[in-house]
Amino acid sequence: MNKEPEERTSARALAKTPVFVGALVGILAAAVQGLLASAGGPEAYGFCVACHTRDLVNSAVNALAGTSLTVAPISKNAVLPFLTIVGVLIGALAAARVNGEFRVKKGSLTSYAWYAAGGVLFMVFALLMGGCPYRVALRVGYIDIVAVIGLAGIVAGIIAGTKIAVACVERGE
Amino acid sequence: MTMALAGWLSREAAVIAVPVISLAFGCLVGYLAQRSGFCSIGGFRDFFLFRHTRLLKGYAALVIGAFAAFLVFWLATPAAFEHFPWALTSGLSPVPGAPAGLEAAAYIVLAVIGGIGVGIIGVLLGGCPLRQLTMTSEGNLKALFFVIGMAIGSVIFSALVQGWVVSVMKGIAW
Repeated sequence: MNKEPEERTSARALAKTPVFVGALVGILAAAVQGLLASAGGPEAYGFCVACHTRDLVNSAVNALAGTSLTVAPISKNAVLPFLTIVGVLIGALAAARVNGEFRVKKGSLTSYAWYAAGGVLFMVFALLMGGCPYRVALRVGYIDIVAVIGLAGIVAGIIAGTKIAVACVERGE
Repeated sequence: MTMALAGWLSREAAVIAVPVISLAFGCLVGYLAQRSGFCSIGGFRDFFLFRHTRLLKGYAALVIGAFAAFLVFWLATPAAFEHFPWALTSGLSPVPGAPAGLEAAAYIVLAVIGGIGVGIIGVLLGGCPLRQLTMTSEGNLKALFFVIGMAIGSVIFSALVQGWVVSVMKGIAW
């Protein structure tokens, strides 16, 4: 089907507009809970990068190594856990390829070590608070007071991190 | 224990639909996140550094869109959104997800500690975990190592840290 050029352009413009993307993802994440809730809890769990990574990784480790690492009930009850993360990687790869924005960017070995360590720490902190900034957003929308406090913590951390980054840049100059 | 949630699909269908729907939804989010450069932490960072609100509006829209949809869906099918609005049905204890079985005060402490850690690391390493995933798909190998780190962190947290945190938090007289 060939769409009108204008229509395609506006759909492309919308996809590049964070406010549209945010609203759509929020609405669809709520719909995902509506669709899948019979498989189990928790609530406000339709989209989360940290928790869905944990469900996928821990399910795989449990299956391979016979361990019993934490997996959310809904991912445990289902035939396979949430595959959100696999989807995000595929969707973003498709978007980057289609629009000619895929380009291998290498870093130094030291930078790889920092990023890997950062990923480990990020995950630990995120799971302490029961989710990454995305699930926190869903939980705030679900009127969870602790999530509002967690979001305030995230904002405080961002302010601190920004000050650290600015101080490092100024010292380097 | 609470009653089991009842969603729009039957349990038999839902247990099969979990990987299918989440994979499809993930593809859509990944596509849109790559096109828009969506980043939750980046939104606050750009606001504090440059007073840019483009990404921050996206995160605000996520919260508002989710709230509006939860409200409408809850009115239509309350059994799938049993505890909405959470504060009115469940008080100060959070939606499950953090280590289970703690006092409400412990969850507040964990939310603050976790939040600050997430914010600092996210800013210093160039973005929230969704941004790290999209950068990985754009060919950024540093972001790939962040994602690998997250996978390792998941096992470390569940095998070790979670147990320590629970025993420390249970040892405190709140």
